Amino acid sequence: MTTTDLLPGTATSVHPRSAPARIWNVVRLHLVDRRTYIGIPWLIVGIAFVITVLIAQIIGFTTGGLGTPDAIEGQRYSWAVLSPQWYLVVVGVQAISFGFPLALGFGVTRRDFYLGTALMFVLIAAGNAIAFSTLTQLEQVTNGWWLNSYMFNALWFGLDGWAVDLLSFFVMQLLVFFVGASIATIYMRWRMPGMLVFWSALALGIVSTVMLITFTSSWPAVATWFTAQGIAGIFAWLLVPAALAAGGGFLALRRATPKN
Amino acid sequence: MTLTDTNTAVRVAGLTKKFGTFTAINDVSFTVERNKIYGLLGRNGAGKTTLMQLLTGQQFATRGTLDVFGASPVENARVLQQICFIKESQKYPDSFRVEHVLASAPWFFSNWDEEFAQRLVRDFRLPVTRAIKKLSRGQLSAVGVIVGLASRAPLTFFDEPYLGLDAVARQIFYDRLLEDYAENPRTVVLSTHLIDEVSNLLEHVLVLDEGRILMDQDAEQLRGSASTVVGKKTDVDAFVAGRDIISRDGIGGLASVTVAGLNEAERAVARNAGLELSPVSLQQLIVQRTTSTTSESATDPWSARS
Repeated sequence: MTTTDLLPGTATSVHPRSAPARIWNVVRLHLVDRRTYIGIPWLIVGIAFVITVLIAQIIGFTTGGLGTPDAIEGQRYSWAVLSPQWYLVVVGVQAISFGFPLALGFGVTRRDFYLGTALMFVLIAAGNAIAFSTLTQLEQVTNGWWLNSYMFNALWFGLDGWAVDLLSFFVMQLLVFFVGASIATIYMRWRMPGMLVFWSALALGIVSTVMLITFTSSWPAVATWFTAQGIAGIFAWLLVPAALAAGGGFLALRRATPKN
Repeated sequence: MTLTDTNTAVRVAGLTKKFGTFTAINDVSFTVERNKIYGLLGRNGAGKTTLMQLLTGQQFATRGTLDVFGASPVENARVLQQICFIKESQKYPDSFRVEHVLASAPWFFSNWDEEFAQRLVRDFRLPVTRAIKKLSRGQLSAVGVIVGLASRAPLTFFDEPYLGLDAVARQIFYDRLLEDYAENPRTVVLSTHLIDEVSNLLEHVLVLDEGRILMDQDAEQLRGSASTVVGKKTDVDAFVAGRDIISRDGIGGLASVTVAGLNEAERAVARNAGLELSPVSLQQLIVQRTTSTTSESATDPWSARS
């Protein structure tokens, strides 16, 4: 007989939770304040939409009409559809910088925290992709919400159909989250020296790539390659940096320690 | 599993943690028995928080072994699910309100008692809809205290949990901790500066100084382990000669010396010699043990000046 048997009902035991339950609890922890991932991004979308419609009407009033193919094409250059992304990259950073110390305080392992965080990113990215690609279709069907005002049917969205929009938005959203999260993870693991090395390496990498392409006079070839990929192809390729950021973030976080 | 295993919550051997060239924890060994309240005491920078972070898997040890409930806590979900670590410097997401913390904590602590949590919220008069970053220091501490108590984790660490709490709130914390501990025995490790305030709460004391364990003693034994002898310098010196002197103080012809372990007979001898004996509080004892200097002026400062 052990001491624990002698003290029935004491706090010396807890009901252990299975790995899927623990990982799902991390997802719930991120979403306990629904404003962060759902409320504020959609509030931004709403405000951007109102502003887009108003600006479109102003332009329509001054140019004498919005319904022409030229006017619809002109509205493609608006970045309003991406307006919540600037906020969401910060959210990706905060998922680690605030979420990690909180989760560790709640007795969560680094592994469970990262898997839960990644699962949450995938779920939110999927939800946003479905919503935005569907809104793009609705915008087309309703001829710009019966106002000839287009926000979602912009940039590369609405060109190749619902499925391509779904893919491109999903990949872009994942990339935004994982890039934000992995930068925060580098900081969590290596602090300031890590940031210096990371940003210097990134700047050097970009400049040397540009230099290489320029010195070998390869810009036309690069342009041809991008055109050949198509929208779906380019975003399929962008899954590679997203996966690298996700995998690298996992490896870095396994030995990270929260700041005091 | 042997009896000693089920009795032990934490077993640490040769534990060392270095940050670069700085040694925060230096070759520390001790055990924490289950279902006791431990005080982890020591000066600022003694390594208390680092030690707690090592025990909760938040930091990685440089050397040594550490077992919590029979295994390393690092990335060990089975062990970590049984631990609640309330850190004075706990960070919360920027937008979090108190209610978000209280809503999510039960997902991670399976012994969570919601009724108890609500009672503590009323006791501490905590505004649950207020943003965490708008709380006062004391209210922020109350959030940690509530989570730490209501989680009823088999091993609970409180790192300076009372920071900014007023005297009433601190008393509520001590009272609720004792009440709930009596009903739901568990292992509690409490790091604190307010040693006298918690001295009656503690069953065992661990004193950390410059990364080393200075004392690892039963609190009851410790409280009776020293006395201060006050009297004429010559009498005091005669009495304490050959004894374990913890600290000495004096001015002119008077001396005040704290010595370890006096029995009844020795006390009688001291009283007969016209010396005054006074008990040493846990706080005084620890202050004296952790300041390794003695202050005694060899000559009377007044006569020396003339």
